[in-house]
Amino acid sequence: MNDAPPGVIGAWLHSFEEDTETTAVYRPRDHPFRPARRVRRGLEFRADGTYVELRPGPDDRPREMVGRWRAQPDGRIQVTFPQGHGRPYELNVLSCVDGVLTVAK
Amino acid sequence: MTEYGSPQPPSRDLCATMLVHRQLLNESMTYRSRRAAIENRALQYERGRRASLRTEVVTLPVVVHVVYNPKTPELNIGDAQIHSQIEVLNKDFRATNSDVGNVPAVWKPLVADIKVEFQLATLDPNGEPTDGIIRVPTDQLSFSWDNGVKASATGGSDPWPSDQYLNMWVCQLGGSLLGYAQFPGGPPQTDGVVILHSAFGTTGTAAAPFDGGRTATHEIGHWLDLYHIWGDDDGACTSDDKVADTPNQADSNTGVPTFPRITCDNGPHGDMFMNYMDYTDDAAMFMFTQGQATRMNACLEGTRASLLVGQVMRMPAPAAATSPAAAVAAVPAQQQPAHNGEVERLLHDSERLTNEILTDIRSALGLVTGDTGK
Repeated sequence: MNDAPPGVIGAWLHSFEEDTETTAVYRPRDHPFRPARRVRRGLEFRADGTYVELRPGPDDRPREMVGRWRAQPDGRIQVTFPQGHGRPYELNVLSCVDGVLTVAK
Repeated sequence: MTEYGSPQPPSRDLCATMLVHRQLLNESMTYRSRRAAIENRALQYERGRRASLRTEVVTLPVVVHVVYNPKTPELNIGDAQIHSQIEVLNKDFRATNSDVGNVPAVWKPLVADIKVEFQLATLDPNGEPTDGIIRVPTDQLSFSWDNGVKASATGGSDPWPSDQYLNMWVCQLGGSLLGYAQFPGGPPQTDGVVILHSAFGTTGTAAAPFDGGRTATHEIGHWLDLYHIWGDDDGACTSDDKVADTPNQADSNTGVPTFPRITCDNGPHGDMFMNYMDYTDDAAMFMFTQGQATRMNACLEGTRASLLVGQVMRMPAPAAATSPAAAVAAVPAQQQPAHNGEVERLLHDSERLTNEILTDIRSALGLVTGDTGK
């Protein structure tokens, strides 16, 4: 995880009100989000390489998808789901400053 | 894609791990089996192979669990706020809500009276009088989506028997959730709906734009087996809500959309974003459809039939009606003379469904354990 963007470890929820056309904004899970009917997606980067994604579920609560994450030399984060429960993808972290994680859409 | 950080091979407690794994697998298969039976029944109703037996309005008994931290006294919401929620439900499920007239003309013929009403329970599980409201102080500052509010062991409130009552928990929820539900077929000890206190009812702590009581309408829709109108396919247009008269739409709508909103080539009328099972603001959702009514009836007369039978049992009956059979026989004579056969069919249907589910469960367990059941 040496190439991980500083401060990225932790659990984040999508602050979609702050998104732009090209960026998605995440804030720490304990941030005082305003209530929303649309379930917020979540990302959690654990120091041991475990990745937990929260996806909206059909019963209005998030569903956990557990995978692995690894920082790439170019700063991107590669996410895989070894259990075959999801397609791998890459996250392009643009910044992680003052409790605001900004990811390219 | 290169793998990394492979998990360490198990070095101890393998037996316990396997037991937990097997338990989870069994539970999962049991749930899948139940869901398959429920879905099969809904399909039969939708295709007209079965029709609803119900012609009268049913009233479901509700118990509201107010779980609050005494350090935040406003979380102990008042009776008026709870009554305001029941009032909204009784309008929304009868299509007597004041905003139903806002349904676009093209969909007005689809507006459905679900013929379900809700009433705070008047008898508790022991038969004692109650106002149907339970107030439970907790040390928890807020609850997550993990069912913690549904058990006293985790700082919540234990449900009343979910085959007799609709359990509604009202509390502070984390993660900005408005509420969540459990589909029929899940564990009885967590059956019911959970609502954020500020999205409950129309008075007290209810706050805009979720102060119209529609979160509970939406969650009870799930509890009666409705899916989200967009099919939970993440915008793919490949899955729908298994209801034919709701247009396929790409993703959830939020806020207050403007009609028409076209997605998934569903023009010219587009998304039915004013349906209770979308994600719009309370002021922007105001209808169930006939197809959704059919699906809810399949659920009410199937896996949740005990609530209908229970209603018969709770109806005023002659004092001599001390046994279930006597009560069932007595009520139609007093109130609904034509429905004696209907009740019997409902009871028969419930028994048959239970047997079907038990058979499915035995089959599933046999698959897991290798026991063919012979």
